Amino acid sequence: MSPKSILAVLAFIILAIGILMASSVLVSLLHDGKDLVPLALSSGASIVAGGALWFVLRKHRNEVGIRDGFVIVSLGWVAASLFGCLPFVLSGAIPSFTDAFFETMSGFTTTGATILTDIEDLPYGILYWRSLTQWIGGLGIILLSVAILPLLGVGGMQLFKAEVPGVTVEKITPRISQTARILWLVYVLLTLLQTLLLLWAGLPLFDAVCHAFTTVSTGGFSTKNASIAYYESPAVEIIIIIFMFLAGVNFTLHYRALKGEFTSYLRDGEFKFYVLLIVGVTVLVFFGIPTLTSSELGWQIRAGLFQVVSIVTTTGYVTADYELWVPAVQLLLLLMMLSGACAGSTAGGIKLVRVIVLLKNGLNQMKALLHPRAVIPVRHNGRTVGQDIIVDVLAFLVLYITLFALATIVMSATGLDMVSAAGSVAATIGNIGPGLGSVGAIDNYAHVPDFGKWVLTFCMLTGRLELFTVLVLFTPSFWRR
Amino acid sequence: MRIRIVLAVVGYLLLAVGTAMIVPAGVSLAYGEGDALALLASAASTAASGFLLSRVRPKRFGDLQTRDGLAIVTFAWVLVPAFGALPYLFSGALPNLTDAYFESVSGFTTTGASVVTDVEVLPHGLLLWRSLTHWLGGMGIIVLYIAILPMLGVAAMQLFKAEVAGPTKDKLTPRVAETARVLWGVYLLLTVSECVLLLVAGMPAFDAVCHSFATIATGGFSVKNASIGFYDSAAIDAIVTLFMLLSGINFALHFAALSGRPGAYLQNEELKFYAGVYTAAVVVVTVAVSASGIEGGIGSAFRAATFNVASIMSCTGFATSDFALWVPVAQVVLLVLMFPGGCAGSTAGGMKNLRVVLLVKGVTTSLRRLVNPNAVIPLRMDGAAVEKSVLMQIGGFMLLYLSTFLIGSIVLTESGLDLVSATSATATCLAGVGPGLGSVGPMSNYAHLMPLAKWALGAVMILGRLEILTVIVVFYRGFWKA
Repeated sequence: MSPKSILAVLAFIILAIGILMASSVLVSLLHDGKDLVPLALSSGASIVAGGALWFVLRKHRNEVGIRDGFVIVSLGWVAASLFGCLPFVLSGAIPSFTDAFFETMSGFTTTGATILTDIEDLPYGILYWRSLTQWIGGLGIILLSVAILPLLGVGGMQLFKAEVPGVTVEKITPRISQTARILWLVYVLLTLLQTLLLLWAGLPLFDAVCHAFTTVSTGGFSTKNASIAYYESPAVEIIIIIFMFLAGVNFTLHYRALKGEFTSYLRDGEFKFYVLLIVGVTVLVFFGIPTLTSSELGWQIRAGLFQVVSIVTTTGYVTADYELWVPAVQLLLLLMMLSGACAGSTAGGIKLVRVIVLLKNGLNQMKALLHPRAVIPVRHNGRTVGQDIIVDVLAFLVLYITLFALATIVMSATGLDMVSAAGSVAATIGNIGPGLGSVGAIDNYAHVPDFGKWVLTFCMLTGRLELFTVLVLFTPSFWRR
Repeated sequence: MRIRIVLAVVGYLLLAVGTAMIVPAGVSLAYGEGDALALLASAASTAASGFLLSRVRPKRFGDLQTRDGLAIVTFAWVLVPAFGALPYLFSGALPNLTDAYFESVSGFTTTGASVVTDVEVLPHGLLLWRSLTHWLGGMGIIVLYIAILPMLGVAAMQLFKAEVAGPTKDKLTPRVAETARVLWGVYLLLTVSECVLLLVAGMPAFDAVCHSFATIATGGFSVKNASIGFYDSAAIDAIVTLFMLLSGINFALHFAALSGRPGAYLQNEELKFYAGVYTAAVVVVTVAVSASGIEGGIGSAFRAATFNVASIMSCTGFATSDFALWVPVAQVVLLVLMFPGGCAGSTAGGMKNLRVVLLVKGVTTSLRRLVNPNAVIPLRMDGAAVEKSVLMQIGGFMLLYLSTFLIGSIVLTESGLDLVSATSATATCLAGVGPGLGSVGPMSNYAHLMPLAKWALGAVMILGRLEILTVIVVFYRGFWKA
């Protein structure tokens, strides 16, 4: 463990946040300029603090070991949120530090849970920054899930090691940056494409950019109180459904498609499972939406599909209040919150590849019961999955469920009812945003007591970093030696 | 799988159940109540059907094979409750088939979920039969643990290593009888002890017998509408709490203690976990309940917590207060406790603490391997090494358990129940507890559910009781192939 190199990397992250924040100063200038001073101050403070620290420690940045990796990743999100919440606090948009930190962590973890009761009241610069936190968070997640976590061996992440051509296993640093650069390109392309399409569909430039930021990162912050429902436009809804769907797919598949290998989608077991899941659940949900008139059939199909895709990709936009739908639908949605979408995407949750491995293992155990002597390996995408990885995936599921149960107990102790407590925890560990009950589709987290907000903030961070990364810091063996 | 042997064994079981029905019939005659005829008619038809079925037995019985055992267990837990429902039907206490079958399944699976809205108006014979179904179910579970579950891997493999001999692979008959006799001895001893203590504490003899049956089997049917809360006696609460906890412990440990090795309790990791979870849950529930003031002061909150937490953890389902009215945090704790349930090798249900302990150990090894990627970290339980494949078996089981829970919950919400009632009803029936939360709380019952929901819960109870795999594997196409 080398604290100096950890600090050096953290300083670099803070510096980067400050620089990116500067773009919101520009947005503020172009609009009303009301929040110009707090944004400029925050950006300047982050650049100065991060830059100075980085300059002092820059010689140490290459001495990073495995343990340092865990600390850097966990504290990276915390440091980013600490500096990222400055604009909210300084501008007075969110005066309480707890609330501001919650909102920023919700941004950087691409959760989308908000404590704001009136979003449209915020000045443009702040709104833009709020959306940008999610986009930056998405960049971090791609780096994390395709490069860093598989390397650290977190929760069976070796399963979806980036298979970007031309990258070898030997060197750590070049591999991280090269893989990340390729996938960031995909990310930027998706964002640009969606912005253009939203503009074409009639959204103002500001709204189009902000929503593209929060769609591709599967974040879910909107610039409107009514979320996407505000626009009342089928075109906008369909565009967003498509991009939420794409953002929930493993980015390496997009990269291959860009290179012309379109069939790689169809050869991927997780992708197929993802599509089947969305289709299956949408059909079930469709029958659970109270039917109004036949003229609203189109709306009903769209609403069902939008909500299912929004939740399974852990985005969290809404076009309809799913809490008015039958309880069975809510339970299905809760289930989707837990499963999440594909690994290697910006989505949260358990991730479908893990679900697939666990399902296959379950099926194997049944076969083994009848053929006790047969050794049947679990296979995914044509390759055998080792026992260690299955145990890791299982451990991940156990941790996920344990954290879900314990956090639900704690949240219900803060006074939330059972459904809201379970819903808020599922929505934050899975990085969705809106939950059920009093934190449902058309509600927000403002009424949750401060203590509860901190618990949920922890859930967002832990869930985003695939549990192990954060929780390993709390094991004695991590600090030994 | 040899269907004739399977049917014959189920026939013998029915013969035994029919014979057992004579006992409540006798009690009914003694009380001079009208249900004697219904009970005798049920006994006769059950025994006769059993006798006829047992005639299909082949000349050479031979050794029971794995598949025969799996089929017997599944068939038995579906068919025996069907005959066990006859007394309810014949007497008119539960005139429709859905309700009668639900009550009977709930009895034999030692769940304790009831559709009877007013238990106290039932005649004594029926009440005794209702409690007796628990007790017979409990005996069946013990055999299940010795003969069937070792084939499913972890659930029983290591459990009987402490003294009681386990079966050899693929052959069920040898030694099973011997082990069963020993554990039935423990079971009987616990039942008699509780019965005597309850009598001493002032409970009427009939109630004491019925409640002992329901406690040791971790069933939960009571002869009073307010369950154990009816007696409002600290002594009775304490006795029932103690025996619920004891019934949730591996019976092999009780046997070891009875054979003069009480130290076995202290060396058992599963028991330590069980005790730890119980203590922690009691503390949390006591604090939460006393803070809300719903049960009065801290003393009565503590008493309510010790009883109801023990009832949930051991999957019994007795209640002394309406915990469906407690503050949400206490309810969530109870709901969560339904999942691990009691210890393996006991009559308790749930996923079993043994599996949870092993899963936790799996998590620990995974976490440790993160920091030391090249280290080989062995998995140990009670000092013995456990193979990774065991963890994978548990993983398969856990997935099936949770899937059953989720599918059951969805079906129940589809039938019109709210989220809390639907999820808690499924969790409680899967673990064999009995009462849930919301509209199926301890002072409510399952009478108001739609027939579809009742059949679904009946299936969930059988699945949970037979550790899911046992049942599902029968539906697997490979099962019927040679």
